[in-house]
Amino acid sequence: MENAIEVTNVAFAYTSSLVVQEVSFCVETGAVTAIIGPNGSGKTTLLKLLLGILKPQKGTISVFGKQPKEARNFIGYVPQKFSFDRTFPLTVWEFLKFSHFECPSQKIEEYLNFFGMAQAKTALVGSLSGGQLQRVLLVRAMIHDPKILYLDEPSAGIDVGGEQTFYELVDRLHKQYKNTIVMVSHELDVVFHFATQVICLNKKLLCEGAPRDVLTPELLEQIFGMGATLYHHASLR
Amino acid sequence: MAFMQRALLAGIAIGLILPFLGVFVSMRRMAFFGDGIAHASLAGIALGIVTGANPFWGALAVGIAFGIGVYALEHKTNLSSDVVIGVLFTSGLALGVVLMSFQHGYQPDLITFLFGNILAISQTDMLVIAGLAAVIFSVLFWYARHFTMIAFDRETAWTSGMNTELLNLLFYILLSVTIVLGVKLLGIILVSALLIIPAAIGKLLAPSFIGLVTLSIIAGEFAIGIGLLISYYLDIPSGSTIILTGSGMLILAVLGRSIVRKIL
Repeated sequence: MENAIEVTNVAFAYTSSLVVQEVSFCVETGAVTAIIGPNGSGKTTLLKLLLGILKPQKGTISVFGKQPKEARNFIGYVPQKFSFDRTFPLTVWEFLKFSHFECPSQKIEEYLNFFGMAQAKTALVGSLSGGQLQRVLLVRAMIHDPKILYLDEPSAGIDVGGEQTFYELVDRLHKQYKNTIVMVSHELDVVFHFATQVICLNKKLLCEGAPRDVLTPELLEQIFGMGATLYHHASLR
Repeated sequence: MAFMQRALLAGIAIGLILPFLGVFVSMRRMAFFGDGIAHASLAGIALGIVTGANPFWGALAVGIAFGIGVYALEHKTNLSSDVVIGVLFTSGLALGVVLMSFQHGYQPDLITFLFGNILAISQTDMLVIAGLAAVIFSVLFWYARHFTMIAFDRETAWTSGMNTELLNLLFYILLSVTIVLGVKLLGIILVSALLIIPAAIGKLLAPSFIGLVTLSIIAGEFAIGIGLLISYYLDIPSGSTIILTGSGMLILAVLGRSIVRKIL
């Protein structure tokens, strides 16, 4: 199968010390890839390199044969933190339409329905709960039919019930639209159940492969530096 | 009455663009930028007065240079925006004072630019203001959604395919030119009020972003129109009257909103 993403010997440093060191991997088209690692392991930095927000100081990244910056039409992105002035009167509809003005209104309606947010289109973005905001961000990421969907710790700041709904939606989304999904996550149980490929990072690439091969107690201890195990996530019970 | 017509036309033109930009300025919490440009433009005004050129063009050149300077220093150094603006703002003001020291005697042009005199707008001034305002309004209208998304979250705007750096520079230049146009009418000291007050009124009352822009512009136009009429009939300074009218409208909006919320 064709590779959606090819990362070759990529290195990046914000100041002098490298945050991402000589990382290479490929993501197959249609895969659900999870990037895991402890805090400060360079997960979000790697995602920003894949998105083209940051430029690697060494190595190359190819997204469907293009540089990440040129591949922005192919991608959808749900950030970990969406910091904005919640007091500002911007409706959900305006937010989505302003993000992708060329996108037909019918398509926006379709995705709002898919994510169960059709009733919220006249609501103000600042009035949404954490879970609702993440779903709106998912709609925003999907309305231009991206080939790749990037999720940066998508359930951070959502309560357990909201998390469950969120991951069910992501699963349904993948089954229906067959996008390639790359997500940064610290929830190993979610990764185990949803991902088809796991990339373990701690500045360097520690391991890569199918969840069953990678998420073993020995490798988890190597990655997280302690007796890490899979826990039974509420959304998967 | 011809001077009143010119004042009103120039006021309407400025009332379209200052509140429109004020919405984004308010979203991005960069009211200090407006003050900075206005005060730094004193250097250009002084240069014009000293060299015998039109102070307005000097102010415009310095205003644009200020906008580009802030953008460049924000991107090329690790200095924060308020520090960069603070340095350029005071440097421009200081340069203006030094230049003015070479010119002796009473300077009516300087007083006009400090406190504004909308009633002293010439035919040429009016045409320049109306022309530039039309261009700025068109650009703002076209790029409003881009500026909104960048103000909301720059990273996600970038991933949506927007050229955030170039758009940011464009925004700074538009803001700089608009502030300088406003300085001619309202003065260095008062101009940023018309950037902030209408947007604040809009934010209190609007149910959506389009409503916010519309209400801000309406509030700006009302403040200018009513302020001009009051200043004309009471024979009091026009710029200050416009700002006080806007402040009065803001108080009414706060009170009205509280009353409506209590009733509902």
